[in-house]
Amino acid sequence: MRDIANVASREMKIGFRNPWAYTFMALFTLFMFSLLLINAQGYVNGYSGASSTMLNLALYLLPLMALMLGSFSLTGEKEEGNWELLTTYPLTTFSFLFGKYLGLAVVLLVIVAFGFGLSGVVGWLIGGGFEFATYWRLLVFAISVSLYFLGAAMLIGTLARNRWQALTASVAVWFFLIIAWPSVLIAVLGMLPYMWIKPAVTVLTFLNPAELTRLYTVVQLGGGSTLGPEYYEWVGWIRSAWGSPVFWGIMILWVGVSLAISYLVWERGRGHG
Amino acid sequence: MADRFVRFDAVHKEFHGKTVIGDVHLQADSGEVVALCGGNGAGKSTLLRMLAGIIRPTSGTITVGGLRWEDDRRKYAEQLGYMPDDYRFSAGLTAMETMLFWAKLRGLGAARVREVLELVGLSDTGHKPVASFSKGMRQRVLFAQSLLAKPPLIVMDEPTNGLDPYWMGSFVKLVRQAAADGQTILFSTHQLQIAEVLADRIVFLRDGNVVLDGTKAEIREQFGEKGLQEAYGSIFGLPDMG
Repeated sequence: MRDIANVASREMKIGFRNPWAYTFMALFTLFMFSLLLINAQGYVNGYSGASSTMLNLALYLLPLMALMLGSFSLTGEKEEGNWELLTTYPLTTFSFLFGKYLGLAVVLLVIVAFGFGLSGVVGWLIGGGFEFATYWRLLVFAISVSLYFLGAAMLIGTLARNRWQALTASVAVWFFLIIAWPSVLIAVLGMLPYMWIKPAVTVLTFLNPAELTRLYTVVQLGGGSTLGPEYYEWVGWIRSAWGSPVFWGIMILWVGVSLAISYLVWERGRGHG
Repeated sequence: MADRFVRFDAVHKEFHGKTVIGDVHLQADSGEVVALCGGNGAGKSTLLRMLAGIIRPTSGTITVGGLRWEDDRRKYAEQLGYMPDDYRFSAGLTAMETMLFWAKLRGLGAARVREVLELVGLSDTGHKPVASFSKGMRQRVLFAQSLLAKPPLIVMDEPTNGLDPYWMGSFVKLVRQAAADGQTILFSTHQLQIAEVLADRIVFLRDGNVVLDGTKAEIREQFGEKGLQEAYGSIFGLPDMG
């Protein structure tokens, strides 16, 4: 536990002194602020044009931010020779990886909280903006997406040998899961027999954390009717008492599996040398 | 000789089917200073990296204090301090923060960090970003981290690269003190004069094999008064400088 805290603390120090973190923070805050200004005349309550725009903004920006910060951090350890030196210390691979995940998560969440916080305060001061519950759900969405993709980033950083490979893989994963996903989903579903469409939608949605989190948030915001008939059962379970515990459970599982695979790959490298 | 502190028994290493370490037998006692010498690609760093537990031998065994890395990684690591040759410090951290991170992993605190920074003459610069340090200063930070836990074994890869004559002298003193305290030291070097001054025993490696292993007196006896220089010349050949 002490080692995990030590690794996490180092990661936070490096993260908060990294100019990249501030570039992302400025970008995210600027977008949030712009949205707020555009919407200055209205008051957003539940699922609407403004909240869906904010949802999409977070969906485009945060996964890319998490993927790049996370994967660069791990490949940096390899390129700088720090991991090699750490293997001569009494430090377990699990403490190293989990500590890094926690430290990076804090850095990301501070960026997200700052962007939301500043926009929220300004919105409140100018008297427009978002209803608190809607704003809170959008914040939870942003946090969830960040944590999910940080898990994926750990996997990319584990498999990539250097920052260039990490950059290429991060952009590819981001493009596939965020930009290309709707087209890929339609194409795949179009090739399947009708009976398979619903189960395929379910499986594919669980495989894409961005899509899962988006669906969860849209339903939580009361926009379930906009999703289409394939998702009516989703609306049912997300709104049930089990909706949130299952969603968080899946998130823990997703991040846990990403970290477990990363652990096995790092351990394999350590054992074989 | 079963009680020797460090033992390489028939250690062989291949990378992608290519042999980089042949069949090495090597021992070191507690308090002994052993220098590994040889040209580029002789296998010095590979041997040290295997000893430090960074990479595994393809066959053969390495023991430190009777313990193999495979037996208990944590205990094995607790017995050694390693100074790498190739290391880039993370941007943004000061020397003190960097050292404190390493110290905490060994269950130590700021007091010990200040002590070792003082030893290597960096106590006044501990608050500065370590990435901005000169090569020599960075080497001293790396040396300091290898001393942190006062481990029974110190493994150093080209430790004197980039050190100015003053710190070279201090380094020699610190290593001698560590050996006098019973710490075993294995280091690689291209600088024969450092090996001559510091080591009790010198091991020459060529193409991954030990070609000469002896004390300075034994080498002088075999190669004459010029000792190491002569030995190096006869093993590797020296270029004609005109």
